[in-house]
Parts: sequence; structure tokens; C-alpha cells
Amino acid sequence: MKPKPHLPYLLVLPALAVLVAVLYPFLTGVWWSFTSYRLNRGAPTFNGGANYLNLFVTGEGLHAIGITLLYAVVVVSVECVLGIGLAMLLNYGPYGSTFRLLIVLPLLLPPVIAALMWKVMLTENGVVNWLLEAVGQPGLLWLNGLDSALWSVMIIDIWIFTPFVVLLAQAGLRSVPQELREASAVDGAGPVRNFFSITLPMLVPVLIVIIAFRGIDSLKMFDIIYTTTKGGPVDATTNLHVLAYLDGIRNMNFGAAMAALVVLWVLCNLLSSVLLRARRTEAGA
Amino acid sequence: MNASPSGSVARSRRRKKLLRHGAVIASLSMWSVFALAPLVWIVMMSFKKAEDIVAYPPTFVFTPTLTNYVEVLSSAKFMAPFVNSLIVTVGSLLVTVVIGLPTAYALARFSFRGRENIAFGILSLRFAPELLIILPLYLLFQKAGLYDSHLGLILAYQLVTLPMLVWMLRSFIEDLPGELEEAVAMDGGTRWTAFRHVLLRLIAPGLGASLMLSFVWAWNSYTLPLVLAGKNTQVITTGIQQYISAQSIDWGPMAAATVVSLIPGILFAVFSLRWIVGGLTAGTVKG
Repeated sequence: MKPKPHLPYLLVLPALAVLVAVLYPFLTGVWWSFTSYRLNRGAPTFNGGANYLNLFVTGEGLHAIGITLLYAVVVVSVECVLGIGLAMLLNYGPYGSTFRLLIVLPLLLPPVIAALMWKVMLTENGVVNWLLEAVGQPGLLWLNGLDSALWSVMIIDIWIFTPFVVLLAQAGLRSVPQELREASAVDGAGPVRNFFSITLPMLVPVLIVIIAFRGIDSLKMFDIIYTTTKGGPVDATTNLHVLAYLDGIRNMNFGAAMAALVVLWVLCNLLSSVLLRARRTEAGA
Repeated sequence: MNASPSGSVARSRRRKKLLRHGAVIASLSMWSVFALAPLVWIVMMSFKKAEDIVAYPPTFVFTPTLTNYVEVLSSAKFMAPFVNSLIVTVGSLLVTVVIGLPTAYALARFSFRGRENIAFGILSLRFAPELLIILPLYLLFQKAGLYDSHLGLILAYQLVTLPMLVWMLRSFIEDLPGELEEAVAMDGGTRWTAFRHVLLRLIAPGLGASLMLSFVWAWNSYTLPLVLAGKNTQVITTGIQQYISAQSIDWGPMAAATVVSLIPGILFAVFSLRWIVGGLTAGTVKG
């Protein structure tokens, strides 16, 4: 085929147009983050990073950053451990495909609706508390408790997204050559040793993809938290994304909202660049 | 005949294996119960009468009723968002295919300056916090008259659908040998005929998988319509919240609406699980 140097550019032109179109609101948002901008009080005026200062100095901002990080770390680690475990169990016997369909179902529900379902079950007089009482435990406040709200939301996240890890980990496990495992078993390696010296290292490329997707999604988690707790009680579940929504839509304070979002964006970018580098090293090794 | 020592070793090994399978099945069943219980509960709730729903202790045996479904399916409160969801999701998929297919092809088959930057730029749409783009877009849309319109939502949904489609399709196309198309060229065909008659057919499963995944993601999207949809364009994820007001929750209709809105996603899933997995992992776990 004759090379036509302009052809690829022509083909990506529409996508480029989308990128440029997105760049405009994005840059607008970044500009607002450096201004005092309340929607009901006229145009944005530059305030020299006061929004960022606020974010890092006030309890509210630091609290939101803490919640964001805690949420992501806990949720992703638990999902990775459970997901890889379940994937190995699924690959163990011939009954895996039947179970897989059951296990994967939660992933296909809109997270908002899945969260609502959990909210129904976790109310004070809900079925979960009834189950607890049936086995002699006191009921919990779950989403309404200052201490328990964050953990309850995390449980919902784990319920929805562990299947995502299962799917990817299963595919990853399939690429581990059976002979390698058998060989090490013959050499006397137990299942634990086998897992840590053969299976897990082979899973690293998939694990990087999993952590990238789940990590970024849970850093910017909004759907589940907002539909179940709206960030409350008080601010027990207010992460950066929810804080930005409350600042921006409820308080009409676009400047503060954008500062929170830019910080969140930086966090997401940090994570993805670390993971991209890890992947490159992995590929080069 | 089992008297020989080797026979008893085999038997104990077999028993051990049986035990291990039992343990695996038990653990998988436990997680399945955890995974399915909320679904079962909401389905049960959707068939309950109001008084059965609020009963405490909860009732597991009850006379099922279709009232909730009748109410939901006959009211604009649910049907309007459902139809809006269909319009917006299908519309944004069409736009995504028109934009994304040529892009994925170019990214996979040509090497040109800025290729990786463009590819990464598209993926970064998926990785940026939605509100960072949507809040400014909200004011922009109001000025442009796109706020609370189907077209506005369809355009905004590209943030969700385009990155997935382009990245999945790109790896599908890269997996196919370029010689296929060169052979067509050798026979005098153009790049266009090669694309249409050879490549498009071969990537059909991949295209299907990417579309399905994009469909589910667009259907599930919440942040975008929360900010950009008004009264006229409410979609299912925001519309379902209408059953929850500050004073009370309409449990029964909410449950029925939930069940109905789950159906499209589950249908897609059942038919495309294998493709989705292949698509997500293409390029990462080759070999």
C-alpha cells in the first residue's frame, strides 16, 4: 500500500476534536481552581491559590484527602486478595464457569442501583440487622453510624467490584504455564511457595492493570458514596469527589470545588504514571 | 484387590482430592450467596405488598403481587427515564463508533508522530475525575442550550464510551496480522476495500465486545446525568432516586424499577462475558 502520510491524521481527526473540546472545560476548571468563584456572585477573580491553601489547611480538606486515600487503599487491597483467591478457586475445578456467572453478576448492575439495594438492606430495620439479631448479635447503624459509614460503603464497593478483579485475574492465571507449576511441585514446592514464587510473579502484568483501573476508580469514587450517604453522617464519607460536588453544586462555590478536583486529578495521574512505569519495567525485564 | 499399599495410597490421594474439591465448592458457594443475596432480596421486595415490605422481622414467605411492576411500567416517572436512557446510550454509542473506529484503526495500523500521545490523551478521559470536566461543561451547556437535552448528554457521554472503545478496538486490530490487508492490496484492492471486506469482519467480535462494555458503562453512568440532565432528560440512574424523598421511600416501586433497569445490563452480560474478558485483557496477558 502506498504510504499516505496524511491518512492517519485524517482518521484520528474526530477523536482529536473531542480531545480539544474536552480540553476547554478542563482548562476552565483548572483556572477556576485559582479563583474565588461563586456562581451567584459574578465572574471568577484570581485569588492566588487560596482554595488550595484552604484545602490543605482546613480540617475539611485534609479530612477529604484522608478519606480518599484510605478508601482507595483498603478497597483495592481487599478486592485484589479476594479477587485473586476467587479466580484461583474458579480455575481449580470443572465447575468454574457455572460459579463465574453467579460471581460476576454484581459487576453488571449500575453501581448506583447496587448501592441503593444495599442501602435498603442496611437500614436500621433491614434484613442485615435482622440476620445479626437472629444469631444473637446487636444490630449496627451501618450507613448511619459515624464510625461505621465508611466501612459500610467500602463493603458495597467490594461487593460490586471484586468480580472485576476475578475476571482479569482469571485471564491472567490462564497465561501461567501449567508445566512451570508442575515442575516446581515436583521439586517439592508446597502450594504456598508455589503461589508466591511462580503464580504471583506471573500475575504482575495483570495486577498492574487491575490496580490502575480499580485504584483510579476508587480514588474518584462518587456514585456509591453519594447515593448511600451523600458524604455523611457529618463528613464521615466525604472524599474529594463528593466534597467537590457539595462545594460546587450545593454551595455554588466553584473555586473550592475545582481545587479539590485538581488535587484529585493529580492523585489519579500520580498513580497511573507510577503504574505505567512499573509496566514498562516489567515489559523490559 | 485394595490390599496392595499402592492402592491405599491412591485411595487416600483420591479422598484428599475429593476433600479439596469440596472445600473449593463450599467457598465458591459462600461467595455466590454473598454476591446474589442483595439481588434476590430486591427481586423479592419487588413482588411484595407495601405492608410486607415494612414488616419486621422481614417476611420471606408472602403472597406475591405484580402491583409494583404495573405501577412502575405504567407511569411516566419510570418510563420516561428508561426511554431517555435508551436514547442517550444508543446515541452515544453511535457517535462513539463513528469517531472511535477510524481512530482505533489509525492507532493500530499506522505509526505517526504523536500517536502515543493521542492514544494516551483518549485514555486519560477515562481516568480524570468526571466532575472536573462536567462542572465547567454544565455552565457551557447552559450557554449553548445543550443543558437538559439529549444531544448534550450524548456528546458528554463520549467521556465514558470513547476511551473504552478506542483502547479495546486498538488491541483487537493489533492482534490481527497486517499481511491480511496487504494481501488484498496485492490483488489490487484499496485500503478501504481491505478494511471493509477483511478487517471489519475479523474484528466484529471485538467490536461487539467493546460496544457492549461501552453500553453497560454508559447505561450505568451517574455523575454525568446528575449534573447535565434536567427534568426532561433524566436517565434511569438518576430517575430511580425519585422514589426516595426526604420524607419517605416508595420501597415497592423502587424495587420493581430497580429490577427492570437491571435487565439490559444482565442481558448484555450473559451474551458477552467471554468477549468482554478477552477485550479487557487483550494486549496485557498475551502469550
